[in-house]
Amino acid sequence: MQCFDAPCTAACPTHIDVPKFISMIKSNNVIGAAEVVKTSNALANTCGKICPEEVFCQSVCTRGKQDSPIWIRELHFFATQYEKDNGFSATKVFPKSKKTVAVVGAGPAGLGCAFELAKLGHRVDVYDGRIPGGVPRNSIPSFRLAVRELESDTKFLSGFFKLKAQAVDKKGFEQIRTSHGATFLAVGLGQDRMLGIPGEKLKGVIPVLKFLEKAKANSTSMKIGKRVVVVGGGNVSLDAAATAKRLGAESVTLIYRRSEKEMRVWRSELEEARKQGVEIRFLVNPLSIVGKTNVEGIKCRRTRLSKRKDRSGRPIPVEVKGSNFVVEADSVVIAIGQTIEAEWLGSVERPKGGYVKVGKDFQTSVPGVFAGGDMIAGEGTIVQSVAHGKYAAHAIHEYLTAM
Amino acid sequence: MEYQSLREIEMYPVRDLSYDFLGIHFENPFILAAAPSTDNLDMVRRAFEMGWAGAILKTTSVEGTRVDLTYPMMSTFDHEGRKLFGMGNIDLISEHHIDTVEYNVRMLKKEFPEKMVAASIMAGRKEDWQSLVERLENAGADLIECSFSCPQGNIGEDPGKMLAQSVSATELTARWVRDAATKIPVSIKITPHVTDIVEIARAVKRSGCHALTASNSIQALMGIDIRSFAPYPSLGGKSTYSGMTGPAIKPITLRTIAEIARNVDIPILGTGGASTWSDAVEFMAVGAGVVEFCTVVMHYGFRVIDDLKSGMSHYLDEMKFSSPVAIVGKALPNIVMHDDLPRRTVRSHINEKLCIACDLCYVACRDGGHMAIDQQSSKVPYVDRERCVGCGLCQHVCPVDGCIEMRVAV
Ligand SMILES: Cc1cc2nc3c(=O)[nH]c(=O)nc-3n(C[C@H](O)[C@H](O)[C@H](O)COP(=O)(O)OP(=O)(O)OC[C@H]3O[C@@H](n4cnc5c(N)ncnc54)[C@H](O)[C@@H]3O)c2cc1C
Ligand SMILES: Cc1cc2nc3c(=O)[nH]c(=O)nc-3n(C[C@H](O)[C@H](O)[C@H](O)COP(=O)(O)O)c2cc1C
Ligand code: SF4
Ligand code: SF4
Repeated sequence: MQCFDAPCTAACPTHIDVPKFISMIKSNNVIGAAEVVKTSNALANTCGKICPEEVFCQSVCTRGKQDSPIWIRELHFFATQYEKDNGFSATKVFPKSKKTVAVVGAGPAGLGCAFELAKLGHRVDVYDGRIPGGVPRNSIPSFRLAVRELESDTKFLSGFFKLKAQAVDKKGFEQIRTSHGATFLAVGLGQDRMLGIPGEKLKGVIPVLKFLEKAKANSTSMKIGKRVVVVGGGNVSLDAAATAKRLGAESVTLIYRRSEKEMRVWRSELEEARKQGVEIRFLVNPLSIVGKTNVEGIKCRRTRLSKRKDRSGRPIPVEVKGSNFVVEADSVVIAIGQTIEAEWLGSVERPKGGYVKVGKDFQTSVPGVFAGGDMIAGEGTIVQSVAHGKYAAHAIHEYLTAM
Repeated sequence: MEYQSLREIEMYPVRDLSYDFLGIHFENPFILAAAPSTDNLDMVRRAFEMGWAGAILKTTSVEGTRVDLTYPMMSTFDHEGRKLFGMGNIDLISEHHIDTVEYNVRMLKKEFPEKMVAASIMAGRKEDWQSLVERLENAGADLIECSFSCPQGNIGEDPGKMLAQSVSATELTARWVRDAATKIPVSIKITPHVTDIVEIARAVKRSGCHALTASNSIQALMGIDIRSFAPYPSLGGKSTYSGMTGPAIKPITLRTIAEIARNVDIPILGTGGASTWSDAVEFMAVGAGVVEFCTVVMHYGFRVIDDLKSGMSHYLDEMKFSSPVAIVGKALPNIVMHDDLPRRTVRSHINEKLCIACDLCYVACRDGGHMAIDQQSSKVPYVDRERCVGCGLCQHVCPVDGCIEMRVAV
């Protein structure tokens, strides 16, 4: 189509010039197309594979007003894969400043920031106790994103900064902060939220990130039992349910306290879970997990939706008295959300102990300390996190240059 | 600070695409043809800023020349749902006379000394041609292009006749221009609508002009409304023949350039149907030194230069060519007369793994070939090698790239 001032470009958080890269694919300049994508989005292959285009670029495609939207993500993926398979284009020599920046966390936000800072000429140390890649590497199921697929990005990016294999703690944070011109925090949400109901300590109750990480790390040897219940309602719970099925569970039941309409999930994820044969039970609230030492089941109560709405604008479910029942289970996966895992953040302001507060320039309450990704916005997306990192890098650049 | 609206930082090195042609330095082989896109100073400025190497300002004439435009002037040849496969116009030369164009040349050369700024001219009388040349030389133009090929006809000729359709008129007028040009090269823009393009090219060569621009739009009737019988573009039900440009005319231009390059030793500026970097490569491979673009810019805007440059850069890398100059003429030794073609036995081969069993090859061969393909219900069609003559039709109707191959029989 080649729309001018294209809505897809505006809708992509990293603002990839979509008409430009599509025109390049059309002219058979596929490497050029990949370069356009990568210039805007450092995690180009990863996003090409699993970016939820249905909420970004493709959702606003002008062509959709005529017949159906262009498959933007597929084209994006085609171009970046082609470049990967044919050898990465050489990058130019970036300027060299004497400033150093520490990036804590090598997930999408951290990597996005580190690469942009490198382009701006700064020396970057990236701290992460684990192999770079964050949630996409460790938790997103292999059937959606294999490790090697993500590595095609991290391998390319790792040439542009120094990786320090170190999990940052209170002492480390102070030390890093004072030894660098600026610090960018991007540790994501590493802590699983629990239900706070009886029985969560039983063997067979697994927090979702732990579950997904283990499954991704050694999917063949992982035992999950015949009957699995997943408590949740977001994308992560669907990933967990589909993973349990793939691990060989005979029945997988996802319980969600509201109805299908309130589920905040991407169509592709819901379809995948259904295709795997996951049973989704709506309007069900867990009361307790039952069993002696091992999980035997989960006691639930039916809910109905009240007229009152919560902060997210969705109706609040209320329990229906006398509707208790037990769903038998060998494992229960708790997938009701994640919080920040960082006692060491100290004076970095987190209203109500929640996400880190930043200004328009991604700066936290501590001068010189910036933050982005899920730790400032809650559970988000890869592309959104890359965008945070990228734009924060410019704010950091400004901060360093003003010094 | 709006971080979201920051310009991206370039992360790839820019390949040098520059070279000299006709004694002029070109940043890259892509320039704008004489057309509406080059008729306005601000538009050319914008194009230059975006990376075009040069522009030929729309054809101008001496003050007092009447330019009797009428609107609408555009129409298109759409094909199977695709817009603008070809584009037709009933435009004439610029409404800006030489005084404005002189000013534009001066401004552009001042603001963009590194760009190639050319102007296109058209006149009737010898004095007018010569004064146009002198004034443009003095204004600082790098090159002059002479339109001998406006599809609506040249000034002073019989209605609808083009100068470049007459060998003698071409030679005579080209000499006038050549005599007036003392400092800068002159190129004669010709039409493919002639019996023998080589004769015209030789006439230009004899005149001493420095180059040829091949070739202008194709005279065409863009279509008829089958209910009102108004031809397109309809001006209250009436119309006239258009000049057709765009992708549809590319093969015609390629032949024109090739035929000139094979027979006459004269530099060529290519124009007529190039839309992409690979089209430009083709134009250059048959002998063009630079390539002019018009319709693709009118369709998608100056921004197409990004892909032209990027695509050409990657192509040169892939081919290990140091400069675009290396492409010029590369295909010419491979263009021969029919008598000199190799004579071999070839047969169609269908790749069973790629075939999607649409049977388009079957129907094409049955009704337009030699009834050599057998349909096998929902399976891959079968080529009868006894009946197949190897014409190659099936290969071209097959929707799957690389599925049908013409193999030399041993
Ligand atoms: C199961 C699941 C599926 C998802 N699917 C998709 C999807 O399909 N598409 C999509 O766009 N998004 C998806 N998301 C969301 C996406 O993964 C996140 O929004 C994104 O990863 C957030 O990036 P981040 O950089 O903020 O944090 P993270 O990806 O969480 O990365 C944080 C990094 O910081 C490191 N770290 C943590 N603590 C420390 C410390 N103290 N010191 C040093 N390093 C530390 C971690 O090891 C990790 O590498 C999914 C999320 C989950 C959980
Ligand atoms: C609307 C329009 C006006 C044009 N005017 C001129 C002109 O004034 N002088 C000229 O030499 N060519 C003129 N041309 C022809 C172009 O310069 C160019 O040679 C032609 O369009 C073929 O190239 P293309 O297929 O890239 O468009 C015009 C073309 C169009 C479409
Ligand atoms: S990164 Fe995501 S939103 Fe941006 S263009 Fe690619 S698929 Fe679309
Ligand atoms: S293209 Fe521009 S000038 Fe031409 S008719 Fe449309 S609006 Fe008018």
